[in-house]
Amino acid sequence: MKKTISRREFLQGAAIATTAMVASACCPTPEPEVIKEEVVITRMGETVVEERIVTVTPEPVEKVEAADVLGTFPRSETLIARQLTGRVGTPDNMNLWVGWKWQDRGLQNLADEPLWSVDFATGEIVNGLAEGDPTYNADFTSLTVPLRQGVAWNDGEPFTAADVVFTVELLMQYDGLNGHTFFVDNVASVTAEDDYTVKFELNQPNSRFHTTFLDRWGCTRIMPKHIFEKEADPVTFTFNPYVGCGPYKLHSFDPQGFWTAWERREDWDKSPTGIMYGEPQPKYIIIQAFDTEGTQILAQLTHQLDVAELSADGLKALLAQSQTSRAYQPTFPFVVNNDPCITGIVFNTARPPFDNLDVRWALVLAIEIVEYMSIAVDCTGTVSAIHTPHLGPYPKLYHEPMQDWLKSFTIDVGDGETFAPYDPDVSKRIADYARGRGYVFPDTPEFIEKAFGLGWYKYAPDVATKLLEKNGFTADKDDDGNPTKWYLPDGTPWKISYMCGTILTNHDARNAQAAVQQWKKFGIDASVFSTTEGDPLGSTGDFDVETVWPAREPWGAGPDLYRTLDDWNSAYIKPLGERTASAYHSRWSSPTMDDVIKRLRETDPFDTEKVVAIGTEGLQEAVKNMATVPTYGYIGFVGWDEYYWTNWPGSENAYNEPYTHWPNFKYFTPFLKATGI
Amino acid sequence: MTFVKRYLIPRLIAYVLVIWLGITIVFLIPRLTPNDPVLAMIGMMRARGATLEPGAVDEIIADLTEMYGLQGSWLDQYWAFWGRLFRGDFGVSFFNFPTRVNQLIATALPWTLGLLLTSTAINWTLGNIIGGLAGYYARKGWSRTLDAVAMVVRPQPYYIFAFALLLLLALVVRLFPVTGGASLGATPTFTWAYIKDVLWHSFLPALSMVTLGSAVNFQTMKLIVQNVNAEDFVQYAKLGGVTEGRIVGKYIIRNALLPQVTGLALSLGQIFSGALITEIVYGYPGLGMLLYNSVIRADYNLIMGITIFSIVGITTAILIVDLTYPLFDPRVRYY
Repeated sequence: MKKTISRREFLQGAAIATTAMVASACCPTPEPEVIKEEVVITRMGETVVEERIVTVTPEPVEKVEAADVLGTFPRSETLIARQLTGRVGTPDNMNLWVGWKWQDRGLQNLADEPLWSVDFATGEIVNGLAEGDPTYNADFTSLTVPLRQGVAWNDGEPFTAADVVFTVELLMQYDGLNGHTFFVDNVASVTAEDDYTVKFELNQPNSRFHTTFLDRWGCTRIMPKHIFEKEADPVTFTFNPYVGCGPYKLHSFDPQGFWTAWERREDWDKSPTGIMYGEPQPKYIIIQAFDTEGTQILAQLTHQLDVAELSADGLKALLAQSQTSRAYQPTFPFVVNNDPCITGIVFNTARPPFDNLDVRWALVLAIEIVEYMSIAVDCTGTVSAIHTPHLGPYPKLYHEPMQDWLKSFTIDVGDGETFAPYDPDVSKRIADYARGRGYVFPDTPEFIEKAFGLGWYKYAPDVATKLLEKNGFTADKDDDGNPTKWYLPDGTPWKISYMCGTILTNHDARNAQAAVQQWKKFGIDASVFSTTEGDPLGSTGDFDVETVWPAREPWGAGPDLYRTLDDWNSAYIKPLGERTASAYHSRWSSPTMDDVIKRLRETDPFDTEKVVAIGTEGLQEAVKNMATVPTYGYIGFVGWDEYYWTNWPGSENAYNEPYTHWPNFKYFTPFLKATGI
Repeated sequence: MTFVKRYLIPRLIAYVLVIWLGITIVFLIPRLTPNDPVLAMIGMMRARGATLEPGAVDEIIADLTEMYGLQGSWLDQYWAFWGRLFRGDFGVSFFNFPTRVNQLIATALPWTLGLLLTSTAINWTLGNIIGGLAGYYARKGWSRTLDAVAMVVRPQPYYIFAFALLLLLALVVRLFPVTGGASLGATPTFTWAYIKDVLWHSFLPALSMVTLGSAVNFQTMKLIVQNVNAEDFVQYAKLGGVTEGRIVGKYIIRNALLPQVTGLALSLGQIFSGALITEIVYGYPGLGMLLYNSVIRADYNLIMGITIFSIVGITTAILIVDLTYPLFDPRVRYY
């Protein structure tokens, strides 16, 4: 007889099954194990003995089992750093030569070794796989690269010139590999003269060809020939695990992309890092992605994150609450102010009235830079009057030598009147203002220059008024003669839309807010246009004023400004509506700048004297034309926890660049000191 | 047969039409936004420090457009999209290129299902049982106390509540981890140690959702029960000497549960959208963050992949509720 299930029986059965499933999903939470003991803490030159919590989080499982099953890392031997680019979208694919691969997950900063890399803190070019600088022939149609001996890939295979030759030839063979077009266009042949010398023959003169191998957060990296030559399709090859010449090798990664763990190579002394600087100290390094700043702060407060990267407010919150965290600078302004990028204002010179030089200068002179810096970054940035940041070698090579020229430089106000816009006392005024706000910092000229820069442009609304009126602009004025509302030459109110991104803590938005405030004060109807479409609108010229980069950073080290100036090449300029090939959206160039670029291209990049002389001419041309306005160097907000690791490369001991997401992170791992907790 | 002809077949046709319409809208909406996935990727690369030399950008745009399958008209892309969909393939994620959307969803879905199924089941069960009892015994002190607690808890903005819980139990007391779905270094394995680790990490997110969700279910159920309690048939049962337990269990709560069952089905259907705020606050690796990132990065394929799951999930949940309603309510008949 067929058994039928009644509605009631069905519901009862379903309820029992659901209850069983819920019950099976529940389990008792582990008991926290909190151990306290006395430990010696060395912090900012001061040694104290404190009672510290040694184990701050519960053990999820028994220790032996955890080591086997969970792969738990001994915290005292592990450094945990935040991943700048966020959660990895391709966790199991580490083929850096195809598309975008979240290279700061440890690929570029721990496992890979480039031929050369840039250290913007020391101003040095670091030889990695290369033994020294490349040597070009007289007409820059060939170059020879000496390679470092004694280096091995992390699987034990020796690194030789064959790897370099194989890499370049493979990149030329497959158009799905990054840099394919560049190498096809430039390289006639590449040969190994011996195991440690590579020679390139170029299709046409290119004095900066080698910079494609110069790592400044990206470059052409060298492949291990013995691995890639076995792959039928290098484009679809996932290259997992990553094999590099860096001091760390892949330990494990989260299939969700939240973290990647690296383990120090047993043969670390066969990596350029080990050869140059010694044994990396952390045995394990974990690069972890965080979705929110709040979580980063909490993680560092509970010692679960050694390196946090925050906003200005986030850093303040962290320092206020943590007993063991420090910033890059031990005193105000705390921030990392030696990033190789300069921030500022970009005019669209293809759109009136910003095509008018007088208008651009009027807008510069309408800015009171002390107020501007206060609004933008609470005076924590380093101002720069020229289109290169005030860091590394650039103050000595460009900023200081250009002081006389800047002081003597004048603009034509009209009626035979000239005006010298440069103000060499700006940094002192910013320092005084910051001190007035209660910030404490050393009062020495060296510190003030390093923290606040050398000088910027005067606040001269009267001169700005003359420049505008000279060009037919009119203004309503108050009883004191100050403009309250500006009109264009055709009589319509002057409105400026300043385009920036949607994250208001980023420096594009900070510059936008500060500039708009200053221009409003001057009587211009300026407003901030916040959009996620900055790149398409900017590159096609659909904007008035934008930000963030007034000029590309130079290489961050060395005197060569070719990279900074070349984007002003007139060859890259396209009509409005078409996408410009240049990273500069200002659409400005000049015959003088083209000539500077051409001469720089024909100059040996290692001939410092000539390169600096031509570079200085380029910077002068950029200042004269003010198509873009440099304001302050990019500043970062790093929080280091000194609970487990000390001797971070802070401003008082800037032996290396400070960012863990930069390729040079590996170079400071040998200098970190474990606290022994 | 009457049921099949007059109800089931039209209902299934409507089900398919709703899914087709939803999927078509999902295909169109990202393309109508000003976001361009290729330019978004280039902007992201620039913002994150990647070196893009002059002249290289045009080449990258051409490459990415080809790789993302964005050549051709929208109609071409639409046909190609349905062709892939029928093969169960959502294509590649633009932002996570070359990872396939299927793989991303498959990786995130178990986390979302584990967290949301459990917390939804707990908060629905707890909220309705306690709410039902509190509604029947509305004049008792404990009922009024619980009502007051629920009135305080329910209006709390979820983000603030979740973050406060995190501060209290991960920073001040340090009982639970700050972020993540499992410990750093933990390899997903079907072992008790790993499961315990996952449960430990999911406790706070689950607690935050269970607390607020229970308060919502408690208040709703309490009000419904109070209304049902005032119905004539309940009064008649009381006067007729039916036992109190039978009145509560058989007469009141069963009737009051009907709208709650519908609500549960909808909640379960929405699980496929993930729990965005929970995942942001607790760094939980579910579908919510995946969807959020796909929207802001114009990752068409990933948006469509997740949203299709959600559309199918919700419409199927409603279909199931419709078809199974006679099981819960004997008064409902489709024939």
